[in-house]
Amino acid sequence: MATPKARDRRSTANLNIESNTPSGETTLTGLQRLPSHTRYPLTPSRLITTLTPSAQRSVSRFTPRAKASAAPSTPYGLRARQQRAANTPGRDRRRSGRIQRETTFDILRNLGRKLAPVSKPIESSPQEVVQPVEEEIDEIEELDNEPELERPRLSLPLQGSMEASEEGSPDIPPPRLSIAFDEEDLTYQSVEFPRRDLAIRDKQRLSIIDRGARMSEDFGDTRLESDEGIEEDTGIVGEDGFVDDTMMSGGDFDRGGETEDLGRFHIEMNFPSPNAIPLDDEPLDDDIGDMDGFRLSPGDIQPVPGTPSDGGAGDDNDAGAGLEYGLNFAPAASPSISPGLVGGGLRDEGLPTTGKQKRLSRHGIPVPNLPAGVVKKLASQFARNGSNSNTKISKATLAAIEQASSWYFEQVSQDLAAYSKHAGRKTIDESDVVTLLKRQRHINSSTTVFSLAQKHLPKELQQGMRLAMPP
Amino acid sequence: MVATQKLYPRGTVKRIVKAHSNRSVSKNADILIFLDYMLFMQELMREASIRSRKSGEKNISANSVRKVTEKTLRKFQG
Repeated sequence: MATPKARDRRSTANLNIESNTPSGETTLTGLQRLPSHTRYPLTPSRLITTLTPSAQRSVSRFTPRAKASAAPSTPYGLRARQQRAANTPGRDRRRSGRIQRETTFDILRNLGRKLAPVSKPIESSPQEVVQPVEEEIDEIEELDNEPELERPRLSLPLQGSMEASEEGSPDIPPPRLSIAFDEEDLTYQSVEFPRRDLAIRDKQRLSIIDRGARMSEDFGDTRLESDEGIEEDTGIVGEDGFVDDTMMSGGDFDRGGETEDLGRFHIEMNFPSPNAIPLDDEPLDDDIGDMDGFRLSPGDIQPVPGTPSDGGAGDDNDAGAGLEYGLNFAPAASPSISPGLVGGGLRDEGLPTTGKQKRLSRHGIPVPNLPAGVVKKLASQFARNGSNSNTKISKATLAAIEQASSWYFEQVSQDLAAYSKHAGRKTIDESDVVTLLKRQRHINSSTTVFSLAQKHLPKELQQGMRLAMPP
Repeated sequence: MVATQKLYPRGTVKRIVKAHSNRSVSKNADILIFLDYMLFMQELMREASIRSRKSGEKNISANSVRKVTEKTLRKFQG
């Protein structure tokens, strides 16, 4: 008798859960009801037969399928129905007049309510937990005791402050060692230095000697750019600038007319940069006028290519041109560091290049200009591609583009010279240019030189190219 | 092609590269160099037009070209 009884109870409980029981039964609370079922177990069939038609209607309304009215055979189905009943809030609304039917949750909740005042929270063995608390208390007490120990400190206030400052900022002293003492403020706070640093770096990079650009011209521009958030950048750039200082002669600084820079330059001689070593002696004595001579005379620079491993490893552009070691521009990391300042430095170039038509390269060879018509044609062609068809290129824009292209040619030919030198050739070959294109990521697995040429070059030039380099 | 009888003066390009690199340029390498220059111009004008459009100019101004020059040159560093 025991086993069928238990089964019956379970099945009736199931029925209670997903089907509506008569309203008289639902008024009972779970705790009262549970024993009643044990006393009067109902088989499912009996329960169904005793149901009033209204209750049956409500069952069919809640679960429209006919099969759903039956008890779920598996516990999964049971749980699914429970969840569905719990998740659909509309159910409660529909039988608004009635008291909510009870589920196992209700039964358990009622059980919990009954047991809540009686039961006590479980206490774990407290020994290990308590001890750290006691230790903390001890530490706090020790800290509280410390003011008493501070009394001797009152007699030694300097030591305490020294220790505090050392602990607080351990990073500050090393930069100070590399930076001149008094110029620190100038570097990090003045607007002047980053501005000049840009111009200087550009000057190093593109050794256009004959432009008489005034540094003060791009003052306002740099200020504008600094709005874009170069607060941190100025500090970084300033440090870069100091690295640069070791590599350049004093002439550049004197263009700004600042005499403090000379002082800094003397101090910077201690900076252990490999590139700076050969230059150490000259800039100390050099004046402004010697700047150009320094750049052009090969005698000064000749010792520098003796250390090609230093420059070649650091910067690929420097590998070929021996002169560039002395005039090494900012390391390759610096452009990414100071993106905001980058544009400003190039501004002073637009006007002054018109002074001399024949510029001299760093090798002392006169550099012809690319004819303006060619540049303009190309520029308008590509500008048209970019935006609407009627782009007009003004004279100033064309000058800027010409300036950019002359820089481009300088940069590219130095790279090419480096490649050909590395290959042990005296001439710049097609393979060097292909290497350059590859390194510029214009040629990859999907793009070949020929497809590029087909896209951009006329046919006779393509043929010339094909002749030069068979595929 | 008939339309482009002369895209660029080959001798000038060669002389420019030669002057800057202090090395002689092989016979047809200048074609490739000019091809790269065209790519550079394309990139430069693209960046400049984007820049000028962003700042609300109708045409490409010299200032926008100057601003993107550095960035574009860096892109074309070998």
